[in-house]
This record gives sequence, structure tokens and C-alpha cells, in this order.
Amino acid sequence: MMENIDRRKFLGKAALAGAGIAGAGAFISSCKRKNDNRELGLPPVLKGAPPGKKLRAGLIGAGARGTGAAINFISATQNPGDLEIIGLADVFQDKIDACRERFASFNLPIPAENCFTGFDGYKKLMALPDLDVVILATPPQFRPDHFLEAVITKKHVFMEKPVAVDPVGIRSIITSARKAEAIGLNVVTGTQRRHQEDYIETYRQVRNGAIGTITSAKAFWNQEHVWFREREPGWNDMEYMIRNWNNFCWLCGDHILDTHVHNIDVINWFLGRHPEKAIGYGGRARRVTGDQYDFFSIDFDYGNGLSSHSMCRQIDSCANGTGELIVGTEGYTNCQNTIWDLKGNIRWQFEYPKDENGNQMQSTAIPSYVQEHMHLVYAIRTGNYVNEGEQTALSTLTAIMGRTAAYTGRAVTWDEIFKSDMDLGPSKIEFGPVDMVFDTPVPGTPVITTVMPAYKGQII
Amino acid sequence: MNLNRTFKKTSVTRRTKVWFFILGVLIAFILLISGRKAVTFTSSDKYCNSCHIHPFSDQSWRLSTHYNNKSGNIVHCVECHLPPEGNGYLLSKVKQGLKDVYGFYFKDSAKIEWEKKKLLENARRFVYEKSCIECHQNLFPVTLSVNGGNAHLFYTASKDPINCINCHLNVGHFDKNALLHAHDTNFGVTVTSKEPPFTEPARVTKFESYREMIPGTTVSFDMIAIPGGTYNMGSPDNEPLRNTDEGPVRRVTVSGYWIARTEVTWDEYMAFFRATGSQGRTEGQVVTTRKADAISGATPPWGAPDQGWGKGSRPAITMSWHAANVYCQWLSKVTGKKYRLPTEAEWEYACRGGTQTPYFFEGDPRKFTSEGLLKKLFGSDTVNIASRVVYSGNSPSKTEEPSFVKENSFGLKNMPGNVAEFCSDFYSADYYKTDSIRVNPRGPENGQEHVIRGGSFKSDAKDVRSAARDFTKTKAWLVTDPQMPKSVWWYSDCIDVGFRVVCEPDSAVRQ
Repeated sequence: MMENIDRRKFLGKAALAGAGIAGAGAFISSCKRKNDNRELGLPPVLKGAPPGKKLRAGLIGAGARGTGAAINFISATQNPGDLEIIGLADVFQDKIDACRERFASFNLPIPAENCFTGFDGYKKLMALPDLDVVILATPPQFRPDHFLEAVITKKHVFMEKPVAVDPVGIRSIITSARKAEAIGLNVVTGTQRRHQEDYIETYRQVRNGAIGTITSAKAFWNQEHVWFREREPGWNDMEYMIRNWNNFCWLCGDHILDTHVHNIDVINWFLGRHPEKAIGYGGRARRVTGDQYDFFSIDFDYGNGLSSHSMCRQIDSCANGTGELIVGTEGYTNCQNTIWDLKGNIRWQFEYPKDENGNQMQSTAIPSYVQEHMHLVYAIRTGNYVNEGEQTALSTLTAIMGRTAAYTGRAVTWDEIFKSDMDLGPSKIEFGPVDMVFDTPVPGTPVITTVMPAYKGQII
Repeated sequence: MNLNRTFKKTSVTRRTKVWFFILGVLIAFILLISGRKAVTFTSSDKYCNSCHIHPFSDQSWRLSTHYNNKSGNIVHCVECHLPPEGNGYLLSKVKQGLKDVYGFYFKDSAKIEWEKKKLLENARRFVYEKSCIECHQNLFPVTLSVNGGNAHLFYTASKDPINCINCHLNVGHFDKNALLHAHDTNFGVTVTSKEPPFTEPARVTKFESYREMIPGTTVSFDMIAIPGGTYNMGSPDNEPLRNTDEGPVRRVTVSGYWIARTEVTWDEYMAFFRATGSQGRTEGQVVTTRKADAISGATPPWGAPDQGWGKGSRPAITMSWHAANVYCQWLSKVTGKKYRLPTEAEWEYACRGGTQTPYFFEGDPRKFTSEGLLKKLFGSDTVNIASRVVYSGNSPSKTEEPSFVKENSFGLKNMPGNVAEFCSDFYSADYYKTDSIRVNPRGPENGQEHVIRGGSFKSDAKDVRSAARDFTKTKAWLVTDPQMPKSVWWYSDCIDVGFRVVCEPDSAVRQ
């Protein structure tokens, strides 16, 4: 929003100043494509981050994704060395050690004195004087606190999705995002489809009317089972849950947030709004640890008869696949690279670049995981402000609304979930025993029956 | 010759025109400069205070954060009380100016009720939202608290009109009693009475008035026996200043019941709050699961529910309809009787005290009302009404103790006025038209909002008539509650509604 106003102001001033300058018109039209991206709320598609002042980043949450994100960050530049990871924070020492080792193997050592463990490690890291950027990649339960601290300590932020696990966290994220906007801190989130050139070009097609008026949508993330960890001797409750965070709702938000939020975000993006209501169901059939479901099916009601069917599942040997589908009055699209008419003929396809051998590639030249970091660095260095905090919070809240609908069996409205005081997890975050029971949610009310329990040999 | 003359003439005219033009430009320039100066001069604090003869507003402004702050920045009168320039500044200035001139020459400043002007609904008329936003452009400063963040999120997302001063009412004029939106966890913790508490509730064997005693407290209150009867409920078409929802008039029968002599007082309500208050929603729920029969009551309020007017025998206010109901459940439990909110029919029957006139005393609503231009100029009649009803005509915009008014023929006080009272019925504007129940009617089966009756200290005389109806406005009354979700126990934005209990005789009591 801020960018648009600035741009308008700029154009206004340019028009005034350039009343007699013939070049002005040409200049503006030469920027047309770029402005067009802005107009549609699209990020720039970059070949690399522009050169500029060295940016020093700290990583909070040094697990697999965190380490990956940190590597993506340093890969965003064309001038090796001007993007640097200078410190780490993680609750576990072994995660820090592994991450440092990885960076040492690239000959990019991270000094040990800049690495902090424990639940308050992030505060110590953010207190480092010459830190410019923080990468937030812990389990999403902790994101709202980390984001707020980043804004207080005036850091530019890259944060992974999902951005919270409950409405209290979501409101914190939105508030912090607005605080960041007020003082010009850039925020990019890990919903990388929005930074993927093929998605961006498909979006442009749809916005220009390629499929007519949108009438329905579908989003799906059906995959094999995901990683889990069984409890090891010597681990207390908290350590176990955090090491197995992907399987506890209070830490992960369930996989409808963790992974499916990507698809939900694409639908919200293409439709230009969030749903008003969700009804859905889900259950747990194959999971081994934790308290989460392994499948969800949600009807997101966007109003005026427009629904998006959202499904996600993590079970082996099923019909699996991920993606989106949006149907309009004149055609349909997979949102990623192709537009069909209503008879199934391809009307448009994104042209992927060719590799060194001249073969057609299957994806964009620059991975979207790196592209998003290029965008962050571009924004910091050029002043073209970006803040994706609120949009990703709203997509995460959409997923929370769907999750709540499935867990409870009730219809959940946007207003209700936006104002909900749901605040998951123990009140105190510290290592040791946790006095809470994490039951798998059961929707609805139990059936009261007079039928006697089964005994051997009788069918009831 | 002629031609020459004409030529001369025209040339003179032209020259004169030029001179006139130059003169005009000069005059316009002088006017512009002096006008600009006049605008600036008449917008100074000094100029405002030269006419606004209410020194406390000057003092309270100097004590407020808009004067007395760390930055040393002073926000001047017109920066809040006029819109920003370019937003109708001059027009509003002229309007306000004319109003002020009129007030200065034709009104007695001693009679102007400054206290009333401090109320939100009045303050809205002379504090400009755009002026707040003009200075406070960043609604999300880094230092904003979680509750502040929630409130500002709500403000920016709200489709309904909500003003900055809904929450920040006292920022321009300091009020030491204003504790708006601080979570008052100490509310009701201290008990001051040293008398021994009652050990037993009142024993009632006959249908006659009694004094109820709340066991474990020193609190007691009077319950008046109202014998059953039949009356004309509602107002006839010819009653002056009536509303259409009061008709048609129906012959309605109510069975005998007891009704409290006064509105539930703070003393009574605090007994309930102390006995049942819960730390918060979550803890409250834990209590209910542990003890199935325990009543879990209100959470601590935000700010001062008594508005700093004092508690004691003043009517309790700002509790929600839900809280009033839980109060009745609790009172029933500790006294072993059947307390509840009155039905709308019981309420009006008790208020009328046998009369069929607009008020339970003599008088014409047209004479009492202060609405309309003539009444504004010449004032309205207060004979009879001023000693019997706390309403806008005699109240300094706050509740009064029951001793302030005379009782009606049943011996009840403050049925009309003081605070509006919750009834158990749902509200429906056309209920009188559609309903066929004539014995103990209980209102529509479904609805959103509940009936409130009697009007309050804020009400005009026409709205404290015995038949006048009104209803709860849940959304508006919670508009500035900083919590998400909003409280079910306290209204953040309603200060003039309370309630009164009735007791149902059980079968053992002969009527």
C-alpha cells in the first residue's frame, strides 16, 4: 500500500516537474512493465540482488529449513560476500553445531560467540550491534515473539510460513507487520509461489481476463507421510515435543498450516480475498506420534456462491499430488503455468527458459526459494518497500479457520476466528515436564447408544 | 465631436476601471491578510479561553497528555475542536463561532452543563476524528501493547463508525476518575464493612414485602410484594410523544411477584462479584468443570465500571445482560429463592403502580420534554417529574442514590430513569401487534437483543414514560472492549443500564 502511494506521489511530482521535458513520458513508459507488476501487487522478478551495502543476517531456528533459508539468503547475491550470515540462535546446541559445520564447509565460518542457545537465544542474537536482517525459521509457535523482537530491534525480516499457529499469534503478526511498515522495515515471507515467475505470469493472465470471471477453486497437498521422531531416553516433555515439533499442533499448527498453506495462499492471492467461512472434516488414521490429523477436507466459502475445495493428506500409497486449480467462466488454470479453455484446449503456457544444452527446463531459472531473498535484498537496497507479513498472516489464519472447522465439526466464520482468543500450547515455555494432555481432537458430540458392546462372535 | 466625446468618455471609463481594479486587488489583498490574521487570532488558545468561561476545561487541558507531555509539544484548542485545514476548517469555524456568540450573549454560562459535554456521545460532536488522524498518523508505533494492537486492528478493520475518542476520551482534558481500559484486577477485592455478616437469608412464608439478606455478607435489600392483576400494557395512540412499538394497548394479566424496591446496588452486585469472580475465561472454565454446581461469575472489568461516581447504594451499571442473569442464578442459590429478571409485562405493571397515564404521576410529556427549538430557548417544565425521576432534565449525567427520588404507589423507586433496566424478554418492535398471550407474556421466543425499560439519567422526559420501550445494543456497547473476543460480563461502552430483580413466589407461599 505504501509503495503505491509513494509511486503515485512520485508520478504526480514527475508530471509537474516534467511538463516541458519530453523525456519524461519516454522514461515513464520504459518503466511500464515494472509499474505493471507493482499495480498488480506483484514482486519483481530478479536475476540477482542488486549490488549495495553489505547485509549481515542472523538465523533463528537452525534446523533443516532454517539452514536452507540461510543458504538461500547468501545465494541471492551476484557479488559473493556482500550477503553474510553472522550469527545463529536455536534452542538446541546440536542444531547450531550442524549449521555452523555446514557454513564452515562453504568456507563461510560463523563465529561461535555469535551463536546462542535456549529459548531466549533469539534476543541475544538480535542484540548483536551490526545485524541488519533476521531469518525466522523456528517452528511457527515461536514466530510472533521473534517477529515482534525483530521489529523492536529494527531488523529487516525474512520469515518462513506459516507465521503462527493460533489467532492470538496471527493478530500479533499483523500488528508487528504494521509496526514494521510504519518504520520502513522490509518483510518477506516464505510463501515462495508468490515469487515464482511462472505463477506470477499466470496470475497476470488471469487478472487480464484469460479465464473470465472466477467461479470455483481447488487446492490440494496430498503427500506421503512426513518425518517424525520417537521419544529418546533422557528427553523431557518439552525437548521431545520440540524435536518432534512437526507432529504437535501447538508447535506446528498441523499440516494444513505447515504445507497446505502454500496452496491456500495461492487461492487467496488469485481470488484477491480471504474466505468468509469454512466447513470441513479431517481425521487421523496413520500417524504414529503427536496429536495431529493426517487428512483434511475443507470447503472454504468465499461468498456469492464461490467455494474453494481444500484438501491435504499425509498418507503413503494414496493418490498423491499438490497444486491448485481455478475455474472461470471462460477457462481454467493450474495457477502455475497453463491456461485452458473450457473444452480443455491449451490457450496459454508459460515458457520456461532453456538450460546450457538448449533443453527446455521444467522450472524457473532461479529457484523461488532464492528469488524471495533477492526480493528482500532488492527492497532493502533500492528502497522499493516490501512487506508480506499481513498477507501471509491472513493466509495462515485461513488455514487455522479450516483446521478449527475440521477439529470441531462446526462452521467457523472469518470474524469468529479473527477475534478468537485461541492460544495454543503450555503457558510457560521451558525445558522440563509439561503438565498438559495433547489429545487428538474429535469433532461433534458422541452418539449415545443402548447397543451393548460387542463380544466375540456376535455381529451388531 | 460626438465621436470625440464618446471616445473621451470611454477612455475615462477604462482608466477608472483600471483604477478600480487595482484598488480592488489592494482591498482584497488587505482583506486576505487581515482575514488570515483574524483567523489565526481567533484560533489561538487565548482567544478561545477569553469566551469559554469554564476554567476547569483550561486546567484539565493543561493536565492532559496533549499539554503535559515529555515532548513539550502543546496541542491547541482548535487542533482538536476544529477539523484540519482543507477539511471544512473555515466552515466549521464559522458554525462554531456563531454558536459561541449565541451562547455568550443569550445563555447563562452557570447553567451550561459542562459535565454532560464530557460524555462520549456529546464529545463526538466537537472533537474531529480527522484532526486526531492528522497528527496521529501512525496507529502502529513499535511501542504499542498487545491490547492496543488488537484495538487498533479492530479500528482499522471495523466497517462501523468508531471514533478515536471511543477509547481515548480523556486525552485532551485530564480526568482523574477515568481509568478506561486498564485491566482492573483489584476491582472489588477490598471489603470495608466491619459489621457481622448475615448467616441466614430472609425467611418468607407469606406473600408480603420482606428484606432479603445475602448470607455471608452485610448486604440486604427490600423486596416489595406486588399482588397480581390485570392492566392496560402499552400506550394508547393519543399518548403524546409515544413510539409505535408501544402499541396497540393490550389487557395483560400478571400473577403476583416480589420486585426489588430499588435497582440492584453496587453493594449487592459486589457481593456477587466477590463470591463468584473468576480470574479469566480459562480459569473460569476450570472452576465449572471441577465443581459442576459452582457458578462462575464475572472476570475483572477493564477500567472503572462505576465511572468513578462511587458504589454503595448507587445502581450497579455496565454489567452485561448475561451477567445480570448469572447474578440472579447466584442470588437464587445463596438465598434458596427464585430470583430472576422481570418480564417486560411485570416491569411495566410495577412501574405504573395502578396508573394508566404516561407517568405514574401527573404530567404531560410535551411539557416535560426538552427536545425541540422552543424548549431549548425557553426551557421545559420540571414540576412533579424532577422529584420522582432521574433523567436528563435534572441529572448531572450520572446515576443518583435512591434517596434522590420519591417512590411510586407500590413503594418502588427509580422505575423510570436513573438507569434503564434489563428485562428477561427478547425485544421485538411489533411484538404487541402479533402476540396473543395475555396472561404472563414472556416476549418473543427468539431474538437477538433484550428489552430494557425505564430510560436513564441520559434520557429525555419522553423516554421515561411508563410504556416507553428500548433494547440492548450488544455490538455498540462493546465497541471499544480491547479484548478478543469481547467480554461476556461487562459492556465497555454503556454506562446507563442496570437491572432490578423479581422473586417468584413458590407454591408454599399463599397469595
